[in-house]
Amino acid sequence: MGLTLVESSPEGLENNPYPEVVEAPRFTCALGGAYGAALAVFGAVPILHSGSGCGMANAHGLTYASGLNSGGTIGPTTTPCSGLIEEHVVFGGEDKLRRLIASTIELMKAELYVVISGCVPALIGDDVDSVVAEFKDQAKVIHVKTSGFIGNGYLGYNMFLDSVIDGLLVKKEKTNKKLVNILGIAPNQHIFWKGELAVIKRLLNSIGLEVNTLFTDFASLKALEAIPEASLNLVLNPWLGLEAAQKLYDRFGTPFEHFGYVPIGPKDTSAFLRRVGKKLKVPSKKIEAVIASEEQHVYRFMEYLTEMFMVAMPHSFTAVIADSRTVISLVRYGANELGWNPELAVVTDDPPLEQREQIQRLITTGLEGTSVPRVLFDYDSHRIRLAMREQPLQVVLGSSLEKYIAKTESEAHHLSVSYPTYDRLVVDRSYAGFRGGIGLLEDMSHSFAGPV
Amino acid sequence: MINLDDNTCPTREQRANGINAFSGKASELIAQAKEGTLRNCERNFQQNSGCLLNFYLTVRVATIKDSVMIIHGPVGCSAPANIYREVYRRLWTGLNRKADFDFHWLTTNLNERDVIYGASDKLRFAIEEAQRRHDPKAIFILTSCASGIIGEDVEGVVGDLQPRIKATIVPIHCEGIRSRIIQTGYDAFWHGILKYLVKEPTKKQPDLINVASMLSYTWQDRQEISRLLGKIGLRANFVPEFASVEDFENLSQAALTAPVCPTYTDYLSRGLEQKFGVPYFLYPSPIGLANTDEWLRTIGRLLNLEKKVEKVIKEERAHWEPRMDRIKSDFAEIKSKNGGSFRIMGSLGQGRLVTQTPFFHELGVSTPVALCQDFDDLLLEDVEQLLKRIGDFDIIVNTFQAAEVAHTARKFDPDMILSCPFQGSAYKREKGMTRIHALRGDGRIWSTQAGYAGAVACGSFLLQATKNRSFQNTMLAKTEDPYKDWWYQQPDPHYYHRKEA
Repeated sequence: MGLTLVESSPEGLENNPYPEVVEAPRFTCALGGAYGAALAVFGAVPILHSGSGCGMANAHGLTYASGLNSGGTIGPTTTPCSGLIEEHVVFGGEDKLRRLIASTIELMKAELYVVISGCVPALIGDDVDSVVAEFKDQAKVIHVKTSGFIGNGYLGYNMFLDSVIDGLLVKKEKTNKKLVNILGIAPNQHIFWKGELAVIKRLLNSIGLEVNTLFTDFASLKALEAIPEASLNLVLNPWLGLEAAQKLYDRFGTPFEHFGYVPIGPKDTSAFLRRVGKKLKVPSKKIEAVIASEEQHVYRFMEYLTEMFMVAMPHSFTAVIADSRTVISLVRYGANELGWNPELAVVTDDPPLEQREQIQRLITTGLEGTSVPRVLFDYDSHRIRLAMREQPLQVVLGSSLEKYIAKTESEAHHLSVSYPTYDRLVVDRSYAGFRGGIGLLEDMSHSFAGPV
Repeated sequence: MINLDDNTCPTREQRANGINAFSGKASELIAQAKEGTLRNCERNFQQNSGCLLNFYLTVRVATIKDSVMIIHGPVGCSAPANIYREVYRRLWTGLNRKADFDFHWLTTNLNERDVIYGASDKLRFAIEEAQRRHDPKAIFILTSCASGIIGEDVEGVVGDLQPRIKATIVPIHCEGIRSRIIQTGYDAFWHGILKYLVKEPTKKQPDLINVASMLSYTWQDRQEISRLLGKIGLRANFVPEFASVEDFENLSQAALTAPVCPTYTDYLSRGLEQKFGVPYFLYPSPIGLANTDEWLRTIGRLLNLEKKVEKVIKEERAHWEPRMDRIKSDFAEIKSKNGGSFRIMGSLGQGRLVTQTPFFHELGVSTPVALCQDFDDLLLEDVEQLLKRIGDFDIIVNTFQAAEVAHTARKFDPDMILSCPFQGSAYKREKGMTRIHALRGDGRIWSTQAGYAGAVACGSFLLQATKNRSFQNTMLAKTEDPYKDWWYQQPDPHYYHRKEA
């Protein structure tokens, strides 16, 4: 296999002065994350105040990398961008931005314009807030003050929510007792985001609740503006979206429930419905009826896949290499419903240090079987590759960066479930909810046309 | 004259009066360029268009064997390179691809601390880490807007470290803010290659032909070019994708540098001639039957292989011409809805403008208007020749300005639009677009464009595209157009251009 792989930084990671200097990290920049979120708000037009390549880099490095997706109507080359070059660095980019916002409002159909500023204006000190404020009587314009060097794409999602809260939301006189907002599913970066939002919405609808997914709603501005009307903010991520939930609590008094991950399969999905239902005082009879009927269906239908499963991947030593919430969901589902033995869990979204203990606990506790996975917080594709070699693996759920490595170095079944995913199209698909696990096994089976 | 003492190339604006804002007749464009009155202009409305780094040095440099690419920038700048371990492996090793596709790259992942205090030490660490991890033959450093604005002294770091680092370090100045013309990025890459990597020739390889091309020429285009060169006893030295560092070092040993995309290859070709005496030509490219004949003839003329070449052309013509004639006669049957021949609007790079347009005419389809990403003096004579051959035509020069393209499409109302596949919702622009090309990782014969096989494959594809456009038409009807109606009702695609530069 080509070049020899040697352990990097002989001093070890602890003494590495620059652990963030890595091969192929598993995220884009904050501008990208905010851009991905803005593109997911139907009826919003993002306006990039940046160099001319930031949008294209994220077309190939974010949307296409998240299950071969196009950016949609306003994506790639349709997104307005100030295309800053040297003369703007010298004289400032504010005038260019002012003209760009004015022309975009004039030319493009939208309910909401989202100015996302990047590295160049951050470094040259453009006063973007003031320029944006000039348009407050003409259209809804908000500003997400990112840059590429301020953090990763997940942070960009948080920053987008923060700007929505500051720029759009006002306290409502009445709240809707049944309405729940979904936080922690980041458009694009969580590659199944569209399917997951739809499944979570259907699940909660099934016990009589109403759901605001924030994204992919055709009444987009209305959906965002309705955030303070909810009675609960539901955070389906161990860290992402928590800041927004806290801020919404501080500002509007909306309580939040920190579930921490997206449930996969009947066990976790039932627990999820019970917990949310209890919080919003849904009669438990109603919840139990849904659970009973779905459980019966799923386990009866699981019987159809058992033979393939028992030949191809029983008791598999498993690695999950993904963002925090995807790792938690899949480790739990594998260990608790499929009888897999989780060996390795690599958390690739660089969560804040203070959240890591909690994430580690969510990954390693409440698991059936005797295996407790080794948990690494790393996003260096080289170090992850070395870590994969340290134990036998039969199943690797990761990104497409692991595809050939899983096959040639671990002899494992591989499926792309996390960013970047360049080997499958993901539009409607997700593994969330009661029936999600069946989908997971359907998608995995193609790499094993089971010999008898 | 290329000055390799400089850290990098001049911009296309400086070197060749490059512009990316024009609409009018091709004859006017040429006249203005010749008079020196052609000016670029600022846009009040502008859309994403790629930059020097991300069109797409990140994706391409990452595929150079025995090398490590370091992106000296924030993490998003390298995000497209995340494709490096995966897509190209779909190419089957039976297609002459090297079995070893184990590539490596690093990002310095610049953060707030770095942009305040500088990141030279971090870059230094990244270079050492690349050496330590992979013991490569070359380390490429690609710069970004951020590294440029904070004034990183990349050459200083390289000068300091090179004596201690085994790999050859190649800095490439592709800061996005340098230029409006993305082709400056290609020149910057070649500058680094010429300055640091190409070695003085220890010998000459009289059968070796340097061929550099855009990512928009597929794997099969390489296969076809290799096949044709092989028939006259020559071998292609393909750069940059999948080449080894040694292939770059040996660019000086070649007998000739031949074009696939002339403006892409321009800087490399001139540099290799100037420094090592490797001859080159820039026109034509092997696109379409007639241009492929001429491409081979030019190689024959420069290498004294005329007789062999004529024999090959005769054989190839005998094989491919009847197929091409069938495509032509099929196209002759398809009338434009406005009467007359089938009308195609092609969205092209400068290189494709001079190569693809004659091919369309070879097929017997007409091109009322051409879209061109940018325009500079490098191909002035060739465009003039083109005009003499096919007559005047309208031309819109812009780098992926989707609103201007949509306007032009509506205005000229062609029967088919051909565009780069990665243009978001462009597929549904009036009349439906189809792709003008696939990309390097596509190994299917269906996607060939170069040489004789490519002319037939590409002609067949276009014909195929005329047969059913329900996808484009349905999507156009059922989804929203992003622009307001007034945009299409006013006459000027350059409505938002400012007169002053």
